[in-house]
Amino acid sequence: MIRIEDVGKRFGEGENLFEALKSITLEVEEGECVILSGISGSGKSTLLSLIAALDRPSSGKIVVEGELVSKLPDLHASAYRAKTIGVIFQHFNLIESLSVEENVIVPLINSGLDMPAIRKMAEQSMQRASILHKASQDVASLSGGEKQRCAIARALVHDPKVILCDEPTANLDRENSLRFIETIQKLHQAGKTIVVATHDPLFEALPFESRVIHMADGMIGKHGE
Amino acid sequence: MNEILLSSEVIVYLLSEAVLYLLLFIAAIATLGILKGWNFDRFTKRQFDLENRSYLVMSIIFFVLGLKMLLLPYFAYTIDALSLLVPGAMCAAGVIDANDYGSPLLLLKIIILFLSGLWLGINRLDLEEKHYPYMKLKSWFYLLLFVLLSVEMVLDILYFSHIETTNPVSCCSVIFGEIGGNSLPFGLDIPKLLILFYLLYALLVLMLFTGHYLVRIAASLFFAMIAYYSVVYFFGTYIYELPTHRCPFCMLQAEYHYVGYLLWGVLFSGTFLAIESAVMEGIFGRDALKLKKISIGLLTLFVLLCSSYVGLYYLKNGVLL
Repeated sequence: MIRIEDVGKRFGEGENLFEALKSITLEVEEGECVILSGISGSGKSTLLSLIAALDRPSSGKIVVEGELVSKLPDLHASAYRAKTIGVIFQHFNLIESLSVEENVIVPLINSGLDMPAIRKMAEQSMQRASILHKASQDVASLSGGEKQRCAIARALVHDPKVILCDEPTANLDRENSLRFIETIQKLHQAGKTIVVATHDPLFEALPFESRVIHMADGMIGKHGE
Repeated sequence: MNEILLSSEVIVYLLSEAVLYLLLFIAAIATLGILKGWNFDRFTKRQFDLENRSYLVMSIIFFVLGLKMLLLPYFAYTIDALSLLVPGAMCAAGVIDANDYGSPLLLLKIIILFLSGLWLGINRLDLEEKHYPYMKLKSWFYLLLFVLLSVEMVLDILYFSHIETTNPVSCCSVIFGEIGGNSLPFGLDIPKLLILFYLLYALLVLMLFTGHYLVRIAASLFFAMIAYYSVVYFFGTYIYELPTHRCPFCMLQAEYHYVGYLLWGVLFSGTFLAIESAVMEGIFGRDALKLKKISIGLLTLFVLLCSSYVGLYYLKNGVLL
């Protein structure tokens, strides 16, 4: 479960002050799929980065799976992400010089698991994201859709309870976007809590139960089922 | 300006100290602000700003105190180098006693070294937790430390600016020699001092696992004191291979392969870790087995190093000094 209470995020000071988020309050139930929709600059990605503890809010409280993440010191934020969160980025954020399997293994480097166990988890995750057949291939040589699937495998490798997707289909064609939605549907059916920040209209009417939340100017606008 | 202040070692030392002090001063001002507004239970912009600022400030203090620890051996090197400029001085012992500020400064530096180590330990504990439980404690502790660091800065300047290069000074042969009778504490003689040295070492190792933390701290400090006298009045004479040469500083010189840095470094580190392990267990209720193991390792190395000089001398010459 994700609980966001009166969260604000400001950048800069004085004349340069920019309020990316203004007093956001939101609850996402366990296993729910929430779509944050809105134009660029509406605060969707900022909100995702706060939930992922990639950044800290300027005010307010964020609790994810019982963990007060809005105040986590850096060291603990990394541990929280490694345990609870899987993030799929718009630009994939893969390491181009590594193979698909090596990229998928990266989040498990500090897990304390032995290599055979890590490889097994990576294999399962690649299977789930339908990228196992490209395991040994360098990421640089993959297509956009394949990179996306590699990013999904990496996000799922540690079996996180919460999956955050930041503009996941912005760099994909329609066919790959639909395939991504199918993957999201499977994850939703598996009980994962999913939050997607997107302005892609495909997410406005998903073929499974989801909640669309519109954001504008750093605030939550109208809600819709 | 006198020769001392123009020597390259002193310029480097004082400039480094001044730059680090400036950072510590800024950190002290920021720490006051943190203490004034800190309330972890609040979710206001002010509290978030303070948390972000505290991370930066504590990182600055962490790095500066770490660098200050490295500056202590450089201070020893500097005063040793100055013995070439001060008439009568053959090593740092003469230079440190060249005026009234030297000895208090050295003592203060050692106290600050130990307190800095404790601050770093508390800071580590705080970083291990998610809700900064020791933020206020380590902030107040830092402010206390900052007062001492300020006194140290003033003493640094007074000391180096008041070393005369025209007046001859007494050096180790006079300060630590036979003149003036027995300088050992508690009426000890050398055999009793050595018995106490080895006995205290064994007792300290034993107590690390069984004793009350306050007794352990006292025992560690007592051992450090007895170890100091043992090195100066007995083991040092085997390092110098001269029964009348009693000096804690000459062993810092190249002639003795800089063994003093190792010897004093190992003694201070081992003693400090024994104290820190006691504090961590007794006050903070933490497991300190690793600290205790390292402490025992260092103190054992110290005892073996000291003893080896006596043993090697005996093997080489067939007699003791």
